[in-house]
Amino acid sequence: MTVADDLTVAKPDAPAKAKAPRLTRQGAATGALTALLVIFCVAPFLLVIAISFGRKIDGAAWVWDFTFENYQRFFVGALWPDDVTLLYLQQLGYSFYFAVIASLLAVLTALPFTLLLTRLKRSTQAIWLVFILASLSMSEVFIVMGWDILLSNNSGLPKLFQVTGLTQWLKDVGLFQTLRDIGLANPRNVRFKPSEFATILTMSYLVWPYAVILLYPALSRLDPSLSEAARTMGANRWTVTRTVTLPAIRLPLIGTSLLLFVFLLGSYVTISVFATPDKQTTAVAIYGNIRGANLNAPFGSAQAVILLVSASVCLILGQLFNRMAQAR
Amino acid sequence: MRIGGHIFMALSAVVLALPIVVVCAAALNGGRSMFFPPRDPTFARFGEFFVSEPVWTNALTNSVIVAVGAATLAVFLAWPIAYLLWSGGSRISKVLAGLGSLPFAVPPIVFGVGLGFFWAFNGGLGSVWSGVISHAILLMALPLVTISIGLQSIDRSHLDAAATMGATEQVAFRTVVLPQTIPYTISGFFFVLVLSFNEFIVIFFVSASSYATVTLQIFNSLRNGYTPTMAVAAITFLTVSILVFAAVARWGDLPRLMGADQTRK
Repeated sequence: MTVADDLTVAKPDAPAKAKAPRLTRQGAATGALTALLVIFCVAPFLLVIAISFGRKIDGAAWVWDFTFENYQRFFVGALWPDDVTLLYLQQLGYSFYFAVIASLLAVLTALPFTLLLTRLKRSTQAIWLVFILASLSMSEVFIVMGWDILLSNNSGLPKLFQVTGLTQWLKDVGLFQTLRDIGLANPRNVRFKPSEFATILTMSYLVWPYAVILLYPALSRLDPSLSEAARTMGANRWTVTRTVTLPAIRLPLIGTSLLLFVFLLGSYVTISVFATPDKQTTAVAIYGNIRGANLNAPFGSAQAVILLVSASVCLILGQLFNRMAQAR
Repeated sequence: MRIGGHIFMALSAVVLALPIVVVCAAALNGGRSMFFPPRDPTFARFGEFFVSEPVWTNALTNSVIVAVGAATLAVFLAWPIAYLLWSGGSRISKVLAGLGSLPFAVPPIVFGVGLGFFWAFNGGLGSVWSGVISHAILLMALPLVTISIGLQSIDRSHLDAAATMGATEQVAFRTVVLPQTIPYTISGFFFVLVLSFNEFIVIFFVSASSYATVTLQIFNSLRNGYTPTMAVAAITFLTVSILVFAAVARWGDLPRLMGADQTRK
């Protein structure tokens, strides 16, 4: 865009150039918008990265620096090479562990649901979508509160187990001992929290509506004539699902699982309420360092960067899968 | 098989509703603790939440300010980006859309930590306005998507017709583009509103404990045990969500917004 371009504006028979002054204004607006977005969307992440190289001063806050101490501490512990601590890696491992299982569980149960949903009438679909969106938008704190009551010993499922005699039945059949072995029962009754079971249940509940919403576009674009053709050729329903439907949605399925996984990597409330103390995750540790008792912002930032890198790798993979899905 | 499908959907709905129903029912408890089923059912908790307990009324006011502010701001930020994407699809517009969606795509705790530092450096930490901006940035991706869908639904021949009849770009924008995208803009606004209401982790880092929204107040109270008043908050939020999404479904095309195939009814 040059001044010469601006001067030619007046020519009425040059519609392409008549846009010129608007375009410069648009250019300025675009520039301002870009600056705004860089400041607000990118700067916070850059700050986290910069501070992760900082250094904590004992008994005080932290100072800018360029040290890899925090990363070293994360991977092998602060006292390396004399001593090796894998605590922080283990926390990251639990972040992955919970997120992987919960997201797969959510996708696998949401898939048949969404398939059935897309076969309903459009207006019925809208009602279901309202319901799913409402539960999707429910805050994590409410969900955790709900499951906490449901799983609590004196007014939730354990109580129900006892009152209905299910606990006694479990004891009679001998399954009770199995439950005790995996930590889901105390000597008197079943006990569901804190436990991995409660954590994974709540986490996959949290993302289940997201799974439906993310799978919905791909599934609603499935061509029903394909499976109808397979049906007329004599394939049974299960064969159709396995040979026609599943291959067609393989990529969105993987993409959705990855997105849910990334979302769950950072979940905080669920873990802090339902996971046992020895199975806390990186997200909880980040909180502890930045807002909680430890007050070690640089180390918290390093943990956040590692979480961010893990998440980005998965997101990029997810994008790739989605693009491959669209290209077909 | 068909019946099996219905049973599966019904079962999913039951599990989906279960914790929400339990929380809502717990609001009716007469005592100070949560029981399910509720004991001495009463509606007194609603009065406490909306009128008499300053802790909750303040939190509710903050939540409303943050949510409405963030939704308005997010729509104003998303509109030009969506418009640039649609009208030109230039490289810069794609970069802008990518930047705008970035905070929503990564684990929110990382963005929350980053914003915490960001506001600490420029003095915004702990103010309500910085919470408004933070949520607007975080949730901008939603109106970006809904407005883009709206713009794509405009028939380009309408624009050509407007141009042939001598409408300038501004006039065409005002008379063709804007009216057709208003439902989608409003949908985007309400998506941000509802999600901002319920967002926890970002506002947690940004508020720095100097003010509380309802979700923050509930999290603070989680450690001291539940009170039935917290459940009233849950009911309120759920009602707002359902009303909003039902309105979007009634006056907008919800299946289309969610990406359903257009050719089938």
